[in-house]
Amino acid sequence: MERKVITGNQAIARGFYEAGGRVAASYPGSPTVELLEAIQAYPEIYAEFSTNEKVALEVAIGGSIGGVRSLTSMKHVGVNIAMDPLMTFTQTVINGGFVLVSGDDPGMSSSQNEQDNRILGKFANMPILDPSDAQEAKDFTKLAFELSETYLRPVMLRITSRLCHSRSIVTLDEPQAPVYKPFVPDIAKYCMLPPYTYEAQHRMRDKVAELAQSAGQMEINRLEHRTDDVLIITSGLMYQNLKSVTDDISVYKLGMVYPLPIEYIRELSEKYRRIIVLEEMMPFIEDELKINRIACEGKNLFSFTGELNIEDIEMGLIEGGVIKDSKYAQLSALETTERAPLFCSGCPHRPVFDILKKSKAIVIGDIGCYSMGLIYPFEVLKTNISMGASVGMVKGMRKAMDMNGDHQPLVAVIGDGTFFHSGLSGFANLKYQMNDEENITYLVLDNSTTAMTGGQPTSSSNKMDGAGQDILIDDVLQSMGFHDIVRVDQFQYKEAAKTIGDAIKRPGIKVIITTRPCALHFKIREPHFYVDPTICIACRSCVRTNCPPLRMKQYDNIGLKSSIDPDQCVGCSICAQVCPVNAIKRFGSETQGGSNG
Amino acid sequence: MAKNILLTAVGGQGLVLATGILAEVALRSGLDVKTNDVIGLSQRGGKIMGSVRMGEKIYSPNIAPKEGDILIAFEALEAKRMLPYMKEGGVIIKNNYEMVPSLVQQEKTEYDPDIDSLLTGKGEVISLDATAVAKRIGHPAVANILMLGIAARYLEIDDAIWHQVIRENVPEKSIEMNIEAFDLGKAGTY
Repeated sequence: MERKVITGNQAIARGFYEAGGRVAASYPGSPTVELLEAIQAYPEIYAEFSTNEKVALEVAIGGSIGGVRSLTSMKHVGVNIAMDPLMTFTQTVINGGFVLVSGDDPGMSSSQNEQDNRILGKFANMPILDPSDAQEAKDFTKLAFELSETYLRPVMLRITSRLCHSRSIVTLDEPQAPVYKPFVPDIAKYCMLPPYTYEAQHRMRDKVAELAQSAGQMEINRLEHRTDDVLIITSGLMYQNLKSVTDDISVYKLGMVYPLPIEYIRELSEKYRRIIVLEEMMPFIEDELKINRIACEGKNLFSFTGELNIEDIEMGLIEGGVIKDSKYAQLSALETTERAPLFCSGCPHRPVFDILKKSKAIVIGDIGCYSMGLIYPFEVLKTNISMGASVGMVKGMRKAMDMNGDHQPLVAVIGDGTFFHSGLSGFANLKYQMNDEENITYLVLDNSTTAMTGGQPTSSSNKMDGAGQDILIDDVLQSMGFHDIVRVDQFQYKEAAKTIGDAIKRPGIKVIITTRPCALHFKIREPHFYVDPTICIACRSCVRTNCPPLRMKQYDNIGLKSSIDPDQCVGCSICAQVCPVNAIKRFGSETQGGSNG
Repeated sequence: MAKNILLTAVGGQGLVLATGILAEVALRSGLDVKTNDVIGLSQRGGKIMGSVRMGEKIYSPNIAPKEGDILIAFEALEAKRMLPYMKEGGVIIKNNYEMVPSLVQQEKTEYDPDIDSLLTGKGEVISLDATAVAKRIGHPAVANILMLGIAARYLEIDDAIWHQVIRENVPEKSIEMNIEAFDLGKAGTY
């Protein structure tokens, strides 16, 4: 049997393949991006990045009703987008097995919030599986499809960011032959309107209760008895972290965290002196036990936020008097200069934010690489809430300000991925509610890719690979009835600054589409630039663009002047264009910088 | 052999590839292995770290503070940030190449001047300008494999396994360059 060392994401993809899965859909979001990309490596499977999580979930619902095992994956906040179809689909009777993979992010390494989607799984009456390593991620994916088809429910496979990216050893198995279950129309199963929804309430409750009955015997819920003193109930990566602290305490490792085998746990609670629940984020298992009147501890010992690492678990167990001696040190961080993320060398967002910073306008932000426009040194964006939120927000802010006599210009930014994800309906609203006196400038930063998650396609990005299926953002907005639409090449810095500056002053709704593609995804690399220190006046106009290769440097006999690290420069020319004295020149070129044609 | 290996870098320096290669060579040497890649907000420019734990039986992929045996730092400042995770007497392999954080670029603070003095006495410290050596070999991007070669001196894994795994994981046109980088790092003749 072949053994490979793969990530949690890759393991789920492999599990889907081995389970005979055939339809998969996702929207890219950390930590689950790589999962769909790994599924795309199997030619037997149809796997798409959809325009948003709601559409992805609907594609997978269609796959299930259409008769094949189907999977959808998304980051935790993506499930919010998909909640509407999910909450009604969950009332139906699935046809092909259905699994929703939710990538939760304890510690928020790449997310705007830390919501615990076990709550949503329970809300949707879905069984929830919680693997602890890549082998379990693969095995649980296959089990999830079996449970889905046995109990006729969609199943949630919940995985945390740490586990998505963590590699461990997995034994590969042969794929099962997929079973096609032809769609048979059945109004009571698939048409969720009263009276069919009445029966559905009972079906959901009964199926979850049935599963809870058998959960005590499931192999993935495993008791590891040591002593009668303390029993720790845990799941997922927390099990592995706990085992790294001690192997001397009794553990009940849950593979399925909802529904819980409550009656079995009640029996256990009579055998052990203390029950302690170890879980990251919300007290989900703890609350389930408490509402069933099973006494336990948990969040009194472990933080409700952030990751629980080995040393945090040890400290909680020491505080709780469960263990005495400390093996692990607590982190005593050395004061080290913070390194915040920044726009890549040659990033097309850089000139836009340099221009907006100088404009001093209030700028409403959205979600994407360009969210980094809110951090130092740009600090241009003043809000950051959720995908596509800027479009509706800018309308409400405009109204609130205007009715109080505050008419200063408002600007908002959105990327192409976010535009198609959830900006479209906002723009339709903006047009429908349009008032020509209101001053709103909208910048659509079209870099032809979903850049932050590693360069997945968007609905407008096929123009780069010539498939001809792209939707032009200007066409869409023109059709909606927006007429003040301009395209600008932001690498023509002065023209772009004038276009944006003029638009900000005009009343009405103006849309500016910036057109340069992502420098990283499209691997843009031109001959690099260098600073002539004898011309440089050390004004720092270039350095303020925050391009990674730029840095002030002490030159012998000349003093402190700007410099460019040739290894990092990709030759975008923006620094040369903002230099007031033409001190920055392209390597190998006699002409001075100024444009990147 | 049980080893806790920490890797740290600035996004874009090839850390995820290096972590993957370490995992694969451990598997092929018959060891249990688990890894992490902690990638923050951005692809480029942000701080990132990885961990590899190899041994008979590995539970958590995480390395607790003061438990690291080997630190491979692709950037000098990031070596300092990871020091609290290192055992006394561990092996620290540091690229002297500096990538300035925004705060330093904007002259709000100095690039930490105390990195080398902090490393002194912490264990076996190997400092080199891996990026410059990599450029001499042929491309700055092979600095990560050069540094894996240095780390390989402290891991009981056959060169044949390393070579095979590197071949399978780097772009085809840069295989020979990467093998050369690994061998130079292992031999210390860069």
